[in-house]
Amino acid sequence: MSGAEPHSEVAAGEDVETEQESFVGTGLERVEDRRILTGDAEYIHDKAPENAVHMALARSVHPHATIVDVDTSAAEDHPDCLAVVTGEDLQAEYNPMPCGLNAFEEWSLAVDKVRFVGEPVVAVVAPDRYAAEDLVDLVDIEYEQHDPVVDAMDALEDETIIHEDVGTNVPDGETMEFGEVDEAFEAADNVLEREYSWGRISGVPLETAGVVAEYDPDRDAFDVDCNIQLHTLVDDTVYETLGYPPEKVNLEVPADVGGSFGTKIAIHRYCVLAAVASQQLDGRPVKFVEDRIENLQGGDMHSSDREYQVRLAYDDDGTIRGVDTWFVDDFGAFPRYPVNQALKPLSVVTNAYDVENVRYDYELVMTNKTSQTAYRGFGVPAHLFALETAVDEMAHELGVDPVDVRQANLVQPDQMPHKIPTGNVYDSGDFPAALDRIQELVEGEEVCEGGLLDPDTVAAKREEGKYRGVSYTVHIEPGVSGSDWTDRQRTEKGALEEREREDVEELPEHFRIELQDDGSVQAYLATDTSGQGHQTLVTQLLADQLGVLPSAVEVGYLDSVTAPTEYGTAASRMAVMLSGATEGAAEELRHNCRQLAAEEAFGSALDDIVYRDGGVECQQSGERLELADLADLDRGRGQRLTRVQYDYDHPTTDLPEFDEALTQKFPVYPTAAFAANAPIVEVDTKTGEVDILKFYSLRDCGTRLNPTIVDGQAHGGIAQGVGAALMEEFKYDDEGQPQAITMFEYLLPSTTNMPDIELEHSETPSPFTATGAKGTGEGGMIDGPVAIASSINAALREFDFVTDQIPMTPHRVRSRLRDEE
Amino acid sequence: MSSESSSHSLDRPTREVSISVNGETVSAEVEPRLKLSDFLRQECGLRGVRVGCEHGVCGACTVLVDGRSTKSCLTYAVQVDGASVTTVEGLSEDGDLHPIQESFHQEHALQCGFCTSGFVMATKELLDREPDPDREDVEEGLADNICRCTGYQNIYDAVDRAAAELAEADYPRGED
Repeated sequence: MSGAEPHSEVAAGEDVETEQESFVGTGLERVEDRRILTGDAEYIHDKAPENAVHMALARSVHPHATIVDVDTSAAEDHPDCLAVVTGEDLQAEYNPMPCGLNAFEEWSLAVDKVRFVGEPVVAVVAPDRYAAEDLVDLVDIEYEQHDPVVDAMDALEDETIIHEDVGTNVPDGETMEFGEVDEAFEAADNVLEREYSWGRISGVPLETAGVVAEYDPDRDAFDVDCNIQLHTLVDDTVYETLGYPPEKVNLEVPADVGGSFGTKIAIHRYCVLAAVASQQLDGRPVKFVEDRIENLQGGDMHSSDREYQVRLAYDDDGTIRGVDTWFVDDFGAFPRYPVNQALKPLSVVTNAYDVENVRYDYELVMTNKTSQTAYRGFGVPAHLFALETAVDEMAHELGVDPVDVRQANLVQPDQMPHKIPTGNVYDSGDFPAALDRIQELVEGEEVCEGGLLDPDTVAAKREEGKYRGVSYTVHIEPGVSGSDWTDRQRTEKGALEEREREDVEELPEHFRIELQDDGSVQAYLATDTSGQGHQTLVTQLLADQLGVLPSAVEVGYLDSVTAPTEYGTAASRMAVMLSGATEGAAEELRHNCRQLAAEEAFGSALDDIVYRDGGVECQQSGERLELADLADLDRGRGQRLTRVQYDYDHPTTDLPEFDEALTQKFPVYPTAAFAANAPIVEVDTKTGEVDILKFYSLRDCGTRLNPTIVDGQAHGGIAQGVGAALMEEFKYDDEGQPQAITMFEYLLPSTTNMPDIELEHSETPSPFTATGAKGTGEGGMIDGPVAIASSINAALREFDFVTDQIPMTPHRVRSRLRDEE
Repeated sequence: MSSESSSHSLDRPTREVSISVNGETVSAEVEPRLKLSDFLRQECGLRGVRVGCEHGVCGACTVLVDGRSTKSCLTYAVQVDGASVTTVEGLSEDGDLHPIQESFHQEHALQCGFCTSGFVMATKELLDREPDPDREDVEEGLADNICRCTGYQNIYDAVDRAAAELAEADYPRGED
């Protein structure tokens, strides 16, 4: 069986033997589906304890103002009012929320000042949500308005400072040099300098944030059901704010979460407020569900919003000698936890190219917008867009086909594993072959009679003002982030320099298995899931590893008190970390089953017992025990052998290649999934609309544990890439008012504008992971936007058109074409 | 209003409604401002009705009202007094998935699943109206529903599969 190979070092007799076909590697149907399809699934919005009451929030209507007075008397006088919480109440008894940078103090309700439209100021509680919203209307807040800081480049000037105590709008930034950057730029034949812009885009899962919090006065503890992402990692944002130790604040996430894509990491404010309200009400459960307008305008979930200045040093033969990027990232009103989103591009700083000299320079600014959080790709999509657009322009300057420039600079397969200048290492892959293959595929299928790029059709369309084109690009998707580097920006620079390799502490992935009395297998994940099919993946792995049927496996989730602090579902980690943890735990359980049989039944040596087909057998006597028998034997024992816990270490723990990056807290992503893309676009030069006719994508994420789920991740990622490239954006007007507060303004791809996706696969197993899998949860969103941008450039080449801004909306296409005229 | 809110201290105006929900008549005193989505979720306990935007864009709350797909977040309960409402819970019979539900499962047409009820109900209306839809029909029929996870590719396959299954099985159509 495929999954057992990496454990070939185990002792004789240890190997699982089975007649059963492997479930790993097949598109096993998802075990999650049935409850969802019948309406049975219980999402957080569905949690409704009988006596629950409901919270609503009065939010700031101004982007930047001093709070002069908060009058809640009319709300309190209303017979429906059960509780009112203000910022002052929080200051009296609780703590500010932990921030992503040390100098900041952010309260769950605004104190003294508001800093973005939608910032919560007062919480009210009523018997139902309708009544609670009535109460919000009765809250009277008096403001003294200030000039808002809206533009990131203006924010850099520090003319108006939004955090007076911090004293600057630019609380973080760093210039990092790798190689001989200035020398490379001086020696190169040419230098290209360009500016690009990446709009404020984010995940917008269909399910908004929700929480049901209940304070228990007897235990002086909280139970907080919520759909926060990474509940076993970021629970500190809730318990520290409440001022309680971790074991007193139990976060539990339902098995079904309606999407997150990184955004729900930052919903701790709601968890805290509902918990505080419940404490005020002596333990009555308090429910809060964010409505869509709250989510879009003030839900702390916008993401990367960057202005780039890019310099490329290159020779006349197309060789790239150096890359120099500067960007300012508009983090909004407070630096939330994922400030390291500004750093992740270091893990793929040169994309698939072999370039030794790199400068990476960024400034993180505070503005009067809702705070930024994580979104699929974690800052990488913007970097790849900026880098690859510059490569397009460089090819244009040289008068050569961009695909030739790309091909000439790619890392070659014999350079694998390949350490890039920042110390991250690409594990495996043949990038030149992937680029060749996608070009060959599209030319064969579409640049021919009857194809989308049939020269006659292309010419005829041009007569109508419609320009078709395609570009071939290769992109790396960094996977399986380490955890140690993620607090680089909260670490003293001096301390960084003194660090040794043994100072590095990576969080493992925790996993549990318990045999049930009937011999079925109960497993527990120590993280949460939001649609990725983790229950299915674990079921497949355990069915193989333990030689049982998938129907004999149940997969549950641990709450934050039961689970240790661990990283969890983010950064394309789970295919690798969860499969590693599952296999490790299964191996331990198999060993324990043999030991149990040796001690309690067969009376033979451990080596004489094999684990086979969901049971153990004595090789000498031929006796056999099923899992149910083993559970029975184990029941009376003090130390239960049929209940195992396992912590799977991050792959870099045993890989000295990563020592340098780990020690200096540069991003480590030990798997490099990759894609070669070719979206065929048609641009209507009259309307400015970009129609993606078909999206060809060759993807490689190493060993595919469940190909169906892998394809699903690719489809969904590309769809988000299409949205980002062409339509999604949280715009603000000059006064700091958000312009996309409903789904009428924040446009998401639908059946009417989503192209057909033609997926191709190659499988280059990772030499760094137990199963050969690479992380692949973010791919399409990472490489979709840049691929589309490049194809637009190709389609409009004769207009010297450059997609220098994302999203490239019809209005922006039209205005650029007009300017060109 | 719902059982969650029966503890009201304030008298709010209410109206009596009688609505057939998945074949059973439900009579209740409701506030005129109560949305059909909240009525179905809270009063009837039908949590398969999902609420994603409350302004009629995402389609997660789609149900059938007298056979027509309807956004229950944009509809007040009092507006459907006397009407017949079908939710995703009304599709499966005796524990068996309806062919549309089964097709979504087979084709991996759901990930997080929050949009799924709405898509299934929109598909139901589409296939009742057009048993053999071409791609354009499907794109148009499902254009009022947003999925953030699947990129729609597998949803198209699921609808095609469901259409084929329904044609073969001679499944009852129209008003359930």
